[in-house]
Parts: sequence; structure tokens; C-alpha cells
Amino acid sequence: MSAAAALAVLPSSIGNTVAAELEALAQALRRVTVRVHAGDGRVDAVGAGVLWPSDGEPLVLTNAHVVPPRRGDTPRIQNAAGHTVASRVIARNRDADLALLSLVDAPNDFGVAATLGRARDLRVGEIVVALGHPLGVDGALSVGVVHAVPTEDDDWLRADIRLAPGNSGGPLATLDGAVIGVNAMIVRGLGIAVSSQVARQFVHAALSCRL
Amino acid sequence: MSASSETRASGRSLRALSDDLAAAVERAAASVVAIHARPRIPASGIYWRDGIIVATSHTIRKEQDIAVTLPNGSRGAAQLVGRDGGTDLAILRLDGTPAKGAATIADRAGSEALRVGSLVLAVGRPGADVTTSLGVISAVGAKWRTWSGGEIDQLVRLDLAVYDGFSGGALVDADGRVLGVNCSALARGTPLTIPNATVERVMEALLTRGHVARAYLGVAMQPVRLTRAIAEQLALGENARGVLVVMVESDSPADRAGVLVGDIIVAASGQAIAEPQDVAELLGSEQVGSTLDLTVVRGGERRDVTVTVGERATSGDVRQRRRP
Repeated sequence: MSAAAALAVLPSSIGNTVAAELEALAQALRRVTVRVHAGDGRVDAVGAGVLWPSDGEPLVLTNAHVVPPRRGDTPRIQNAAGHTVASRVIARNRDADLALLSLVDAPNDFGVAATLGRARDLRVGEIVVALGHPLGVDGALSVGVVHAVPTEDDDWLRADIRLAPGNSGGPLATLDGAVIGVNAMIVRGLGIAVSSQVARQFVHAALSCRL
Repeated sequence: MSASSETRASGRSLRALSDDLAAAVERAAASVVAIHARPRIPASGIYWRDGIIVATSHTIRKEQDIAVTLPNGSRGAAQLVGRDGGTDLAILRLDGTPAKGAATIADRAGSEALRVGSLVLAVGRPGADVTTSLGVISAVGAKWRTWSGGEIDQLVRLDLAVYDGFSGGALVDADGRVLGVNCSALARGTPLTIPNATVERVMEALLTRGHVARAYLGVAMQPVRLTRAIAEQLALGENARGVLVVMVESDSPADRAGVLVGDIIVAASGQAIAEPQDVAELLGSEQVGSTLDLTVVRGGERRDVTVTVGERATSGDVRQRRRP
């Protein structure tokens, strides 16, 4: 079962408070999560992306597998308000499964960005949430717990959380709404995310070679 | 509610629960070790007493050169004290005394803590670091017997995700107290917990005798229905049933007591017998050496046979199939 179902057994008094807290958290995360359409007209694959902190034009971080070369070079980005803009891939790393997109002529409501957390400071058993578009469902929230914290040797973040295709590229976040990972894979039921450390380094490297 | 007050309300009770869960994992992690006794991914074990580790038998694939990673990251060697295929439990003894703080004896909860619906965490250590999954206890039942003959004091079924390191790991309540040893090999892969009472009992047997005694009669049986004539003649009621003895091992307890092939066992210790399982139910390990009064039908007549219950020489292990 998913940890979310486990949380559903809480008594209704606490249950209502928890539901309100999760709703507020989902709202906050929806503002910084986008839909990424990588299609050539015939195929339209949908993934998720995170509006990433930027000094210049708005940036979206997603998985490399969401925006494959050629078909996904100029994905369309849709935010929670329903606005769609064009983008182009400015960096891609298939080993880390990350891609950085730059938004073209984005309206102001793309100017928000995620708060980043530190994945290595997580505690095993801590509650985490994921936002994405599993199986096409818009802005869906999943709840789970940290299964294993990334280390020096293994920098993937593992969570006991229910994910599905469409969560790819979306945020894994703490209860404070801080993004600590980018959901990338499901391995035997375990949600596997690129840690925020790896993501930060990737974005930094991608931007510093664009002088 | 305005957006700002929503934000302020956010995360308070959930944050408290999240902190409790993480603290529970940290507390239990001080007692959960990794056992390197199979290829690839190590299995989990629990530091139960001074120098003694409990694990699951099916995840221990070699009996020598077993290494253990303690919660503080240090590595030591351990000897297999014994294993019981019936309950899938194994006991290991660490070589030497672990350094202070290297491993903490598991803080165990009583059986009253096993409640359907309570939030639980499965804590394992499939390597250097501890891992967890969250779920609930989905069923708590009476004493049951595993398909390999082991006695488990309570059935504890779990509704949670099973990952590497699950078997041999601890089921932990929201306070971080250990409720039992997790095992995925006793019920077709569905997650179960072997409760503390069973662990204590099996550990005691393995530490004192090196094995868990298994009661033994030396007969093979199959269920039969008695004819109406015989049932009436012996006043056994309308639908009288019994088990037909189809084989008696030579020099077994049953053989020595004079049980013959063709006997129909209709009662044992005063209880009606309809299935071979009914006889098995009466044969707990504590029955070894005691007597069992059988009522059999032989040649249309009722006879009483007293068997002194023996002890099975070998105990079969659960199938050595790879399970998480």
C-alpha cells in the first residue's frame, strides 16, 4: 500500500487538519510545477517540470527522458493557470536524467520559482510529497515517506511513495514545500528522484557554459 | 480561508507526525543490522540481546564467514547459532563484544501493541544505511502454523510496500518500539511479522538446544468417511469421519505403540479427528516426550492406542527462494 493510505487511518479530527495542510501544500507546489508537452503533432507525451530559480528568463527543470532529442527539442510548457509557452532545451544529461529548458516569451506568471531544499538533510521516515500529472491527471499530489537518503556513494533519493508515468520531472518536496528531488523513475514500486544537490550542480554547470 | 492563513496552518500536525516517524526510524535503526550471508543485497537482522542477533532463515544462505554491519557502520563477524525452518527464524552470535554504542538492544513492545489499523514502519538495513516503508497492520489473528510446521503465536499481516531488506528487519510502531521480525517468505510473499513472543521462544530453543524440537509420530494419513454401519455400531454419530493410516514408519513412535496401516484414527486426546491437520494441531513442540491417546477403528472395533510423541530428527528449512 502507499503511505498515503496509511495516513488515511488517522482519526477524523486530525484527518481534517491534515487534509487542509496537504491541500495548502498542493496549491503551493502547483504554482511551481508545469506540464511539459514533448510532441511532434503525432505523439504527445506529457511529463512534469519544476520552475527553477533563475536570474534571467524563466527556467524549467525536468527529466531528460521527458524531452528526448529531436522530438522533444522544443517542448510546450503549460502552467497551473493554463497558459502555454514555447521552450527550448538548453542542456541535457541522460546519466543524471535531467534537462534544462529555457522559456521563450513567457508571461509574468511563469516568474515564480520553487524553493529548493537539501536532500542530504532529510531523515529516513520523514513525510514527503510529490506533485505531477500521473497518467495525465493534472496536478495530483502523492504522499509518502523517505526510504533512503542520498549519500556520497549513491546520490539518488528513494521514497516509499506511489508514482506513475506523468510524475516524471515533477517535484518531490518536504512538508515545507521545499523541493528536494526531481522524480525520475519507479523501480519495483519505489519512487526514485534525482536529488536537489545533483539538480543544482547540473543547472549551475548548464548556465555557466552559456556565457 | 485566505491563502496566507492557509500557508500559516500548513504543515503543523503533519510536520509533528513526520518528525515522530523519522524519530521512530532513528530509534529502531540503532538496533537494526545488515547481515552479509547471501549474494548481492545484504539482509536485515535485529540486535536482540547482548551479542545476539535475530534474522530470517531464508535470507541466510551460507553458514560460515557471515559478516554483520552494525548500526554505527562498523563491521564484525558472526556465527550462526541455529535456524528454525518452521518459523523462518535464525539466531546469530557476534564474535566479541561490540564497541559501546555500536548496537543497541531492541526496545520491544508487548503484544497489546499489535492492533489492526495502527501505523507501522518496516525498518531494514540492506547495506550500510537504514531504509523504511510506512503502512498499517492489516490483520491480527490467533496462533497459526506455517506450511513448514512452525508455530507462530499471533498472525500479524501488514499492508505496506516490501523492498530489499524487509525480511529480518523490524516492524516498528510510531514510538520506535519493535513489534516483531518482518518476513516475506511464510505466506507466498505477502508481508507478515513474526511477533516478539515467537522470537523469544524460538531463540530460547535455539540457544539452549541448537534447534527447535518438532513433534513426530511417524504416520502418513488421509481423511476418510466411516460407513454408516460402523458409525452406528461404534456410536460415532451420523457423519463420522476419521483419518486412515496409510503408512507407518518402522521403529517410529507410532510403530512402537502398535499403530497399524489401515487403522482409522477417530479421536486423539479426546478430540474428534477429521483431517490430518487435526492431528498436527495437537503436536506442538512442547508435546515431545508426552503421550497422545489415540482412539482408532480397527477391524470394525474401537481400540485405544497410547503413543509417546517423539522428536523429528531434522527440520526442513523454508524454500531457499530469493525474497526481499
